[in-house]
Amino acid sequence: MKKPVTIKNILIFAILTLTSAFFLIPLAWVLASSLRPAGSLYEYANPLTWKTFFPANITLENYRKIFVDLLFGRAILNSLFVSISTVFFGVLVSSMAGFALAKFRFRGRQLIFVIVLVTFMVPFESIVIPLYVLVRGIGLENSYAALILPGVGNGLGIFLFKQFFEEVPNELLEAARMDRASWFRIYAQILLPLCMPAIATVVVMTFMFQWNSLFWPLVATHSSRFEVVQVAVAANRMSEDTSWANLFSAAIAGSLPPVVVFLFLQKYFIQGISGTGLKT
Amino acid sequence: MFKSRGAAWLFVLPALILLLLFKVWPIGVSFFESVMQTSFSGRRSFVGFENYSYLFKHDPTFWNSVKVTFFYSILVNPLIIIVSLTMALLLNGGHAFTKFFRTVFFLPTAISFSVVAVIFAVVLDPYYGLANSFLKLLGLPGQPFFGSQDQALWCIIWLSVWRSAGYWMMYYLAGLQNIPKTIYEAAEIDGANGFQRLFKLTLPLLTRTTSFVLVSNTAFNFLMFAPVYIITRGGPRGSTNLLMYESYTSAFVNSDMGRASAITSILLAIILVFSFIELKITKAKFEY
Amino acid sequence: MKRFIVVLLVLFLAVGMTTAQNLEVLWMGWPKDQVMPLINEFQAKNPGIKIDIQLIPFGQLFQTIEVRLASGGGTPDVYIVDGPNTASYAARKYLLPLDEYFSPAEKNAWFKSSIKTGTYNGQFVSVPYGTSSAGLFFNKAIFEKYGVPFPSEKISGRMTWEEVVDLAKKLTIDIDKDGKPEIWGICIEQIDRPYLLFPLMQSLGAEVLSPDGFETKGYITSDKFVRAASFYGKLFNEWKVSPQGINDSAIAREYFGTGKAAMMLGNEWNIARLSKFTNLQYGLAPFPYFAGGVPVTPTGSWHVGINPKTANKEAAIAFVKYMTGKDAVMKWYKLNGIAPARPDVYAALPADFSNPMWQLFLHEMNNTAVARPDTPGYSQYELILRETFNAIHYGADPKKSLEDAAARIDRELKRFK
Repeated sequence: MKKPVTIKNILIFAILTLTSAFFLIPLAWVLASSLRPAGSLYEYANPLTWKTFFPANITLENYRKIFVDLLFGRAILNSLFVSISTVFFGVLVSSMAGFALAKFRFRGRQLIFVIVLVTFMVPFESIVIPLYVLVRGIGLENSYAALILPGVGNGLGIFLFKQFFEEVPNELLEAARMDRASWFRIYAQILLPLCMPAIATVVVMTFMFQWNSLFWPLVATHSSRFEVVQVAVAANRMSEDTSWANLFSAAIAGSLPPVVVFLFLQKYFIQGISGTGLKT
Repeated sequence: MFKSRGAAWLFVLPALILLLLFKVWPIGVSFFESVMQTSFSGRRSFVGFENYSYLFKHDPTFWNSVKVTFFYSILVNPLIIIVSLTMALLLNGGHAFTKFFRTVFFLPTAISFSVVAVIFAVVLDPYYGLANSFLKLLGLPGQPFFGSQDQALWCIIWLSVWRSAGYWMMYYLAGLQNIPKTIYEAAEIDGANGFQRLFKLTLPLLTRTTSFVLVSNTAFNFLMFAPVYIITRGGPRGSTNLLMYESYTSAFVNSDMGRASAITSILLAIILVFSFIELKITKAKFEY
Repeated sequence: MKRFIVVLLVLFLAVGMTTAQNLEVLWMGWPKDQVMPLINEFQAKNPGIKIDIQLIPFGQLFQTIEVRLASGGGTPDVYIVDGPNTASYAARKYLLPLDEYFSPAEKNAWFKSSIKTGTYNGQFVSVPYGTSSAGLFFNKAIFEKYGVPFPSEKISGRMTWEEVVDLAKKLTIDIDKDGKPEIWGICIEQIDRPYLLFPLMQSLGAEVLSPDGFETKGYITSDKFVRAASFYGKLFNEWKVSPQGINDSAIAREYFGTGKAAMMLGNEWNIARLSKFTNLQYGLAPFPYFAGGVPVTPTGSWHVGINPKTANKEAAIAFVKYMTGKDAVMKWYKLNGIAPARPDVYAALPADFSNPMWQLFLHEMNNTAVARPDTPGYSQYELILRETFNAIHYGADPKKSLEDAAARIDRELKRFK
């Protein structure tokens, strides 16, 4: 279908450009500053010149410094491993639980739903000490498991899947049951493919949650081989100084993998659901 | 609804075990802390609701935090929803530029709140920051931003919107994709125009997504404290002293786990109340 | 039989030597390339000890220490201690008493004020690692441009605060008359921290805490304390010679380094860290005092402590002695630039420390330095005072703010009695 260039499109484009400016400007400045030789922080912020966003001497020295001297690459790999593992198990576990809560009537259903809700309304900081004692008690301290497992059970993910599954007509499932399909087959072959946007959402949500975690990795692991990306970024703020160039380049470098994940998953947001059985 | 109890429990068990172990148990311990007081030498004593009653009756800082937190929440939540919904609506089409803009709006989410706070502190520097340079360019006076009692909380709201809107936009995009195109085609045939389609079709059909976004966003924002910790430390003069920041300092600076846990329990109660109200209001009534 | 025992002994020793001890160290998040050379050197010299070091970003350092220690385990074995927090950790039995491992002769190696900070209830519990001092940096170019003579860089020429304000007024310049000075007279590196502000009060003779360490009423609410706090508030609100809202010392340094402030009240680490501003020509004047009062300078920095529950006591002590020993501290200074807590390092590096600025700081450390007060409730005491100073610098009434603060602090400190 050809998209005509209408006034509406131009208006949309204008609004988007203005809003993007709001979002982009701080980022562009951070990016430009990370590509400049490490120097003064405000030199190009004030006054405003074209050099503010387009550095006169572009250099990759700051990136070299964090990857070579400060082992930033290791932090990225650690975070990738932890995030992807949590996503894999998290989607599995949350979708199964969401299915149960959406489609089955059983004793304890309401209580479990309340538990699910409460678990994301309590701040991490208030549970960190008992959680650490527990993790240490079951022997998981200083391991990838300590980073992954607490993030697999995710109340928000379960809530999201429950919402999506509730919109699937029961007739679909009844038909499959009449064909003598097992519940697991119904879950895996009918429901999961139907909720690709939900899966994509939970993937991004879980991935971001793990990618952004800072305090728990510091508490739960102590060997430097487990260092995660946000710790590596935050380490550029020291007690006596802040290394702005390193901080900015680390922030930018550390934000790229999630953006790649998001870009990759975007097509699941474009996919329509026409003709997949939701017609009444 | 189906009645196969055995299957239901099998499906829900892995999540339940994980949640009970890694969330419910620590939450229980934390509640327990809120009715105890630990003296410095380690003596623990049960004090009933004394921590709570102290907060309510003798602690003006607590009440100031409640005021600030409510003010913040009532402003930031609708703002984020409106911004993210608008962005999702604008970027739902197959236009050539949508992928680029979606990524741009999403990018801030990939930076941790702490680093976003540092960036904003620098960009909104009262004298030499980027924001004031732009204002100067437009001939407007420079603003104190985080240095002003009146502006600081708004800056934190702005920071939250900047950082989170792209994230919630993504949920709305998923929700929008869940609406079959056939509905719009039918509406067009019936002669409905753009606005009617938006308010009578799209928005009601997005109710599930909105309820999800609203509830989780409410929780997120009640539990917000990183920008306060990094930039304003509750100031200027208590104008940004969010409840979670009070709890955080009680726990990690004052080693007063009793007060910290009491505050988070109160926060949980507030969040639950808000969430149930929000769920009731946005109960999806549409089947298509 | 005798041969059998000998063989057994040899085997026993062999096993003991090859089983490496694993030491868990919790450290401040300095850059890896600064810390690891020291760790590697220690491990090379002590093949039986393996160091597992965790570098924690400053913003999360104290919280992580709290979680680890509160959970009651035997780790970390060794951890970094911010000097004034020694009392708090020691009172909660988080620090191993060290008197039996450090002889009085060994303790002489550190500055007296550092040893005092590292001692609680008569027990030596945290080993000094770094220390600090502060002074008044000034931008020579700005002074020259506006025809103001440089302040004296000699101890004998120490300025009074009144004189400093005079200079600051002359050098707060609003070029485009928009109400916002392009150049500020003075900026304060750690704008609201008791560390840098106590010397003002103490210069007037005020005390900042009761001798037993549990009461602030009558001390931070005394006339002298309030007078000094009012002076501080006026810098921002009445004379307007100092910019409000600098929430990071790195930002204050940016202001000074790029010529946006004529003077900066700042720490000794600036000698190393101002070098990145290649166009900056600066001098260092002694920390000011109040006319009729005494010169007082701040001091104190990082210490190192050992977890009393450690399973590797000998290794921990060996590691601590190494890290705080003369050689390692010399290397650490070269890598990082923080002031060493040992006088012998200064003597051993004349090339670095014979310059007049360091000599000035050394004089202060030996003569006018006053360590922060000793109290188990230091963190909350400091935080509430910091919030109070912050409010005062934004214009709150000093007397009322300090009275409210005293009430809040004393309630907190009561828990520690």
